[in-house]
Amino acid sequence: MSASNDSSDLEALFDSIASDYQPATPAAPVPPPAPGKNDGDNDELQALFDSVAAESPAAVAGGDQVQGDAWPQQEAVFNRIGHMARTLHDTLGQLGYDKLIEKTVSALPDAKDRLAYVANLTEQAACRVLNATDIAGPLVDDIAAGSKRLGDSWDRVFANQMSPEEFRKLAIETRQFFNQQLPEKTQATHAQLTEIMMAQDFQDLTGQVIKKIVVLAQELESGLMGLLIEVLPDAKRTEEVTSLMNGPVVNAQGRTDVVVNQEQVDDLLDSLGF
Amino acid sequence: MAADPKTRFLVVDDFSTMRRIVRNLLKELGFTNVDEAEDGAIALQKLQGGGFEFVVTDWNMPNMDGLTLLQTIRATPNLKHLPVLMITAEAKKENIIAAAQAGASGYIVKPFTAGTLSEKLNKIFEKYGQA
Repeated sequence: MSASNDSSDLEALFDSIASDYQPATPAAPVPPPAPGKNDGDNDELQALFDSVAAESPAAVAGGDQVQGDAWPQQEAVFNRIGHMARTLHDTLGQLGYDKLIEKTVSALPDAKDRLAYVANLTEQAACRVLNATDIAGPLVDDIAAGSKRLGDSWDRVFANQMSPEEFRKLAIETRQFFNQQLPEKTQATHAQLTEIMMAQDFQDLTGQVIKKIVVLAQELESGLMGLLIEVLPDAKRTEEVTSLMNGPVVNAQGRTDVVVNQEQVDDLLDSLGF
Repeated sequence: MAADPKTRFLVVDDFSTMRRIVRNLLKELGFTNVDEAEDGAIALQKLQGGGFEFVVTDWNMPNMDGLTLLQTIRATPNLKHLPVLMITAEAKKENIIAAAQAGASGYIVKPFTAGTLSEKLNKIFEKYGQA
C-alpha cells in the first residue's frame, strides 16, 4: 500500500481491520488505497478520518460477534473518504489552484526582479533631482545676490549718493550683469530644470512594470482568496492583523483608523492633549 | 532653547533620499549643522557620542525602529531632554497615539511639505524655549 502524508494512522487502522477480517473477506485490502493516495490532505478529511478512527476500535472489538454486519459499514466509510479525496483533488485542479501555485512559484522571482528594478530607477531619479537642485540652488542664490547688490547701488544713485566715477563703474557692472552673468546663470539653471524633467522618465518604465505586477497580484489575490474562503472557518476570517509598522496608507477610503493629512494628525494630538 | 541656527540635528531614516530631503529642508530653514543615521541603532550610537540637540526620525527602519529609538532616548538620563520629531508614513491613529505617549515632540506624516516641517520645528522650539 502506498502510504503518504498522514496515512500511518490510517494504515494501522487498515491493518488491524484487514487482519481481523482477512479470513472472512479476502478482498478487504482493496478499498482503502484511495485515502492513502490522498496527497492534498486537508483538515476536513483529517477530522473525518479521526472520527472514523475513534469509532472503529469499538467496531473492531465487537467485530468477532458481528463480523458480517460491520464490514459493509467500514467499506462505505472508506469509499466515502476515497470519494472526498478524489473530489478535493479534482476541485483544486478545476479551480486552477495547482496551476496557480505553479505559476506563483515561477512568477514571484520575476515580480521580485521587477520591483527591484522599480526601486532602483526611482532611487536614481531621486538622486538626479536632488543633484540638480543642489546645483541650481546656488545659481539662483547668486542671481538674487547680484540683483540685490546692483539694486542697492542704483538706490544710492537715486539718492544722489554716488560719485560720477562710482556711477561709471556701476553702469559697467550692470551691463556686464545683464549681458553675461544673468544669461549664463539662467541658462545653467534651465539646464538643471531640464535635468529634473528628464529624471521623470522613470515613471513610464516603472509604470509599465508596476502594472504587470498589479495584474499578477490580482490573480494571486483572487486565487488565494478563493482557497482561503473554502478552507478557513468563518471565525478566523475576520481576525485583523494589527501592527504599528504598516508603511504608507495606500487606500484610506472607508477607513476610520487612519489619518489622511497633517491636519488630522494635529487635531488628533490636540484632542488628546498632547 | 531658541531656534539657534547652530542647533545640531540628527536625521534618522533608512532611505538616503529622505535623509537628503530633510537635510536640504533644514538647510533652507537655516539649520546647516546636520548629521545623518540610517537606523535607530546607529542613531543611538551617535547620540551617545554627544553634541546633538534635535532628533528627526522615521518610524519604520531596520535594526531599531523610530518608536524604540524614541523610547530609548526618553529612558536614557543624558538624552531624555532631546526634542524628537517623527516624520513617518505610518498614519494609523494608534501609531500617532503611541508616538505621543512615548514622548514624541511632534509627528509629521509623509508626504509632507517644507511648510509643515517649519511649522512643527517652530512649535517645538517654542515649547522647549518655555520649558
